[in-house]
Amino acid sequence: MLSPLIWFPIAGALLMACLPAKLNTAQVRGVALAISGAVVLWTIGLFTQFDLSLAGFQMREFMPWLPMLGLNYDVAVDGLSLMMIALNSLLTWIAIYSSAKTTARPRFFYSLILLVSGGVAGAFLAQNLLLFFLLFEIELVPFYLLISIWGGTKREYAATKFLLYTAIAGILIFAAFVGTVWLGGTLDFSYEQALSAQLPISAQVVLLSILLVGFGIKIPLIPFHTWLPDTYVSASPPIAILLGGVLAKLGTYGIFRFGLGLFPEAWSLISPFLAVWAAASVMYGAITAIAQKDIKRMVAYSSIGHMGYVMLGGAAFTELSIVGAISQMVSHGLILALLFHLVGVVETKVGTRQLDQLNGLMNPLRGLPMMSALLVLSGMASAGIPGLVGFITEFLVFQGSYSVFPIQTLLCVVGTGLTAVYFVILINRTCFGKLDNERAYYDKVTGNERAPALVLAALVVVLGLQPNWLVHWSETTSRSLVAAVPMAQDVRIALQADLGRLD
Amino acid sequence: MVGADIFAPNSLTGSLTGFFAQTSWLIPCYPMLGAAFSIFWSPALIRRSGPRPVGYLNLLMTVVALTHSSLAFVAMWHQPPQFLQLSWLQVADLNLTLPLELSALTLGASVVVTVLNLLVQVYAIGYLEMDWGWGRLYSLLALFEAGLTALVLCDSLFFSYILLEILTLGTYLIVGFWFNQSLVVTGARDAFLTKRIGDLILLMGVLALYPLAGTWNFSELALWAETVPANDAIAPLTLSLIGVALVWGPVSKCAQFPLHLWLDEAMEGPLPTTILRNSVVVATGAWVLVKLAPVILLSPVATGMVVVIGSVSALGGSLIAAAQIDIKRVMSYLASAYMGLIFVAVGSAQPETALMLVLTHAIATALLLMAVGSLILNVVTQDLTQMGGLWSRRPITGLSFLVGIAGLVALPPFGGFWALLNLLNDLVDSGQWWLVAVVMVTNAVAGFALMRMFGLAFAGKVTPSTTRAAEPLWLMVLPMVAMAGFTLHLPLVMKQAELLPNNLSLVSPMAIGLLASSALGLGVAIAFYILERITRPEKLLPPLLNRLLAYDFYTPKVYQFTVIALVDKLSQLTDWLDIYVVDGLVNLVGSVSLFGGESLKYINTGRMQFYVFVMAAVSLALGLYMSLYFLPKLPV
Repeated sequence: MLSPLIWFPIAGALLMACLPAKLNTAQVRGVALAISGAVVLWTIGLFTQFDLSLAGFQMREFMPWLPMLGLNYDVAVDGLSLMMIALNSLLTWIAIYSSAKTTARPRFFYSLILLVSGGVAGAFLAQNLLLFFLLFEIELVPFYLLISIWGGTKREYAATKFLLYTAIAGILIFAAFVGTVWLGGTLDFSYEQALSAQLPISAQVVLLSILLVGFGIKIPLIPFHTWLPDTYVSASPPIAILLGGVLAKLGTYGIFRFGLGLFPEAWSLISPFLAVWAAASVMYGAITAIAQKDIKRMVAYSSIGHMGYVMLGGAAFTELSIVGAISQMVSHGLILALLFHLVGVVETKVGTRQLDQLNGLMNPLRGLPMMSALLVLSGMASAGIPGLVGFITEFLVFQGSYSVFPIQTLLCVVGTGLTAVYFVILINRTCFGKLDNERAYYDKVTGNERAPALVLAALVVVLGLQPNWLVHWSETTSRSLVAAVPMAQDVRIALQADLGRLD
Repeated sequence: MVGADIFAPNSLTGSLTGFFAQTSWLIPCYPMLGAAFSIFWSPALIRRSGPRPVGYLNLLMTVVALTHSSLAFVAMWHQPPQFLQLSWLQVADLNLTLPLELSALTLGASVVVTVLNLLVQVYAIGYLEMDWGWGRLYSLLALFEAGLTALVLCDSLFFSYILLEILTLGTYLIVGFWFNQSLVVTGARDAFLTKRIGDLILLMGVLALYPLAGTWNFSELALWAETVPANDAIAPLTLSLIGVALVWGPVSKCAQFPLHLWLDEAMEGPLPTTILRNSVVVATGAWVLVKLAPVILLSPVATGMVVVIGSVSALGGSLIAAAQIDIKRVMSYLASAYMGLIFVAVGSAQPETALMLVLTHAIATALLLMAVGSLILNVVTQDLTQMGGLWSRRPITGLSFLVGIAGLVALPPFGGFWALLNLLNDLVDSGQWWLVAVVMVTNAVAGFALMRMFGLAFAGKVTPSTTRAAEPLWLMVLPMVAMAGFTLHLPLVMKQAELLPNNLSLVSPMAIGLLASSALGLGVAIAFYILERITRPEKLLPPLLNRLLAYDFYTPKVYQFTVIALVDKLSQLTDWLDIYVVDGLVNLVGSVSLFGGESLKYINTGRMQFYVFVMAAVSLALGLYMSLYFLPKLPV
C-alpha cells in the first residue's frame, strides 16, 4: 500500500524524462498531472485502509538494503505520516496544475517535481533514520535545479542559499542520527531500535539540540530563516507551493518524529525554551511581514510565523496541542499553497507584485474579481478567522498549550492579530482601491488557473466547518506520542536524584 | 453537524408550533442559504439577469427566517428554556458541542433581528436602487442576519466568540462595499483591526477560562461562578485578568472608549448596513457581556472597568455627538454613548435592564438612521450646516425623526424612558449616585445632540442643497414608517411581554429627574436651533473645548502616534535587522567557517549546475551499485 506512493512518482519521473521531445508543454503537463492524480487517488485509497484504532505504525513494509550499514528499506505509516502524505500528494498535484502551460523544458521540470514528490513521500514514511536522511537529502538537488532554472530574478543567488542552508541542515541531522546510534549502542539505524536506545540525559539534550537546529533551518525557525524569503520569492509559484506547503513540513515532521519521539526526556526539559522560541518566531515573522512591500515576500514571512504555532503545539506536548500542531501543518500547507498560487496568478496577469503598484483588483469588470475574492478568503484563513481551517487548528494549539505555557500562548494570540494586520494591508492594497483604467488590460483568468485555487479554497472552507475530518486521523498517534513523554517536572526530579547520587 | 437531541422534557413535540421551536436551529440556516446562492450572482450572472433577483431571493429567505422565529417564539412563550445540543468537534479531551438556548428571550431577540433585517433589506432596494453590487450586499446582509440569529440562540462563549469573529470579517467586507474609494478602504481596515483586537483579547479570556471552569456554556458558567467565592483555589488576580480579557471583546464590538473610532469610520459603508450595524450589530457585544455578567462580576476590577469604560463612553460619546456637523457622525457617537449606558447597567449588575436598553436603543436607532438615510440620499450632503428648512419638504421623514428622538431619549411613555428609569431606580437602590449623575447627564446631552441635529436639518431656512429634496422612493419611506410604528408601540409590546417591572411609576423623584434632564437637553437644543435664540451657539464654549469635542478628543491622532507608529517602526526595525543583521551574520558564519572560498566559487553562474549534477549522478550510481551488490543476499 505504501511503496507505490514513493515509487510511482519516481517511475513517473523517469517516464517523463523518456517522453518524445515533440510533445508540447501542455501535453507533458497533462501526463504529469495524470501521474500525480493517480498518486492522489492512491492516497485516498490509503485513507480508506488506515486503521484509526491502532496507535503505532501500520502497513509496514520491510526489505533489507544495506544491512551492514544498518540501512534498510523500511516504511510504515501512522497518523502523523498519513497527514503529511496526504498534504504531499495533494500539493504536488496542485503545484503541477498551477504551473503555466508555457513552462520551458517541460519534461525536465515535471520529472523533477515528481521525483521530489516521491522522495518526500519516502521521507515521511521512512522507519529508518538513514533512509529518512537519504530521502531528505535527495530533495536538495531537484529543488536546487527547479529554483535556479525556472525561478525569477536572483534565482541563482536564492538557489545557492537554499542549497547551502539545506546542506548544513542535512549535516547536522546526519550527525545527530549517527550520534544517537553510536551513543545509544543500537544495532542499526531503524527507528524502532533508536527508540529503545538508552542515552544519558546530557547526551539526549545535545543530540536534540543538534536536531533542532538542523530541522529548525528547514522549518525555518528564527534566526535560521533568512534563506526562506529569498528562496520562496525567487521560486516560481508551483515550486513555492511545494517549498512552503510540503518541504517546510519535513522540518516539523522531523522534529516531532525524531526530536520528540526519540528524546522525550530531553524534550520535556527544554520545552519551555522551545515554547519561547516558537513565540519569538511567530512574533518575528508577523512583524517583519508587515514591513514587506512585495506580496510574495509578505506571504513568505507569514509562513515563518505560522510554523511557529506548530512548534508551540509541539513544545506543550499535550494531546490536544499535538493534534492541533499536526492539523496546523496541514492547514498551513493548504492556505499557503492557495496564497502562493493566487499571488502567482496576480503576478502573471498584472505583471507586478509590488504593493504600491497593485490596486483595485476586486473590480468586477476589468479586475480579477474571483482571484481577489479567493485572496480575501485565503488571507482571512491565514489570519485565523473562524469558519476557515486556519482558525480551528490554531485554536487547538492554543487551547492545548495554554495550560502549559500561558504567556507564550498569549503571545502567539497577539501574533494572529499582527497576521491580520499584514493581510489587511495586502488585501486593501491589492484587491480594494481604484483600478487604474489606463493599465488595466489584464488577460482573462483561465480555468487552469482557477481550478487549483477553487479546490484549495473548498478544502479550506469545508475543513474549517467540519474539522473532524481533519483532526481525527492524528488523534491516536498524538495520544501515543504524548504518552511517551514524561512531564518536565518528573524529569527534573529524576535529574536531581541523579545528580544527588553523583555528589 | 450531526446528533441533534433535546434534553429538556418533550412537552412540545406534539404541537405544530412545538415543531418550530424544536427546529429553531434552522433559523440561521435560511439566510446562510440565501448568502450561498448569492454566489451565482457574482459578475457573470449579473450581466444576464441584472442584480435584482439576488435581492429578492435574500428577502424571501429573511421572510422565512422571520416566520420561523415568530412561530417558535409563540411556541416558547411562557415555557421554560430548552437546550438543544449539536455536536461539532470532538478531539482529545476537548468536546465542542454547540448548545442552543431556546427560550422566549432568545427567540424574541431573533424576531427583532429578523424584522430589522427585513426592513433594512427593503430599505436597501430603494437606497441602492442603481447599484450593481447587490449580490455582495445582500449576501453580506444575510451573513449578518445568520450570525446575529445564531449568536442570540447560542449558549456558548466559544461559539459566541466564533460568531463575533465572523461578524468582524463581515464588517470589514460590508464597510468595504464601495472599495474603490480610499476613505472606505481605510474605514474598513480600521473597523476590522479594532474589532479584531477586541476579539483576540476575548479569545485570550476564552482560552484561560476553560481550564478553570471546564465549560464554555453560559448557563453552566453562571452556575460555576456561584461556586467560585467558596473556592479559594482560584487566585483573585487570575479572575481579574480573565474578567478584564472577557470585557474587551464587548468593548470593541460596542465601540466603547478607547476602541470607539471604528464605528465612526464604518459609516463609509452603505447606509442600510449602518442601520443594521448601529442598531443590532454593535449590540452583539452588549449581548455577550450580559451573558458573561456572572463571570465578570466575580472580579471587582473587571466590574469596575466595565462601569468606568461605560461611563466615559456615555459622557464622551454624547458630548462628541453634540459637536459634530456630519449627520452620520452624530449617530455613530450616540451609539457609543448608549452602549456605554448598557455597560453601566451590566457593571451595576442589572442584566435585564441592559437587555431592555438594547431593545429600546435598537428600535429607536434603526428608525433615526432610516430617517438620516432618507435625508442624505437626495440632500446629497451629510453636512448639517448645509441643511435646513427640510420640514416643509420632508414631513414624513421629519415626523419619523421626532418619533425616533422620543424613543431614544427618556420621554414618557416611550421605550427609552422606562429602560433608563429602571436603570436609575436600581442605581439609587444600590446608592451609586455618581452613576445616576452619569445617566442623567448622558440623557440630557444626547437629547441635546438629537434635537440639535433635527433643528439644523429641519428648521431654519431652506438652503441650496435642500430646496429640491423630496421624500425618497416608497421602498425607503415604507420601512421607515413601519419602524416609527414599532417605536411608538414599543411600550405596549414591552408591557405585553412583561418586560416592565411593576414598580415603575411616573410620580417618583427619579422619574421626574429623568424627565427634567430630557427636557433640559431637548429644550436647550430647541431654543438654540429651532427658535434660534442664539445665532452661533458653538461660540458659547471655549474654542479649545469645542475643537476637542469636534475632533473626538484627538483620538485618531493619539492612535497614529502611539500604537500605529509603534507597530510600523517595529516592523521596519525587524525588517532591517532581518536583512542586515540576521541574514548577514548567518551568511558570514556559514560561508566563512563551513565553505570558505568554495561557496564563492559556487555563486559563479553556470558551474553550480554541473557540480550538482555530478554530485547527484555519483551518489545515484553508488547507491545502485551497492544495492545490486547486496541484492543477491536478499532472502527472497
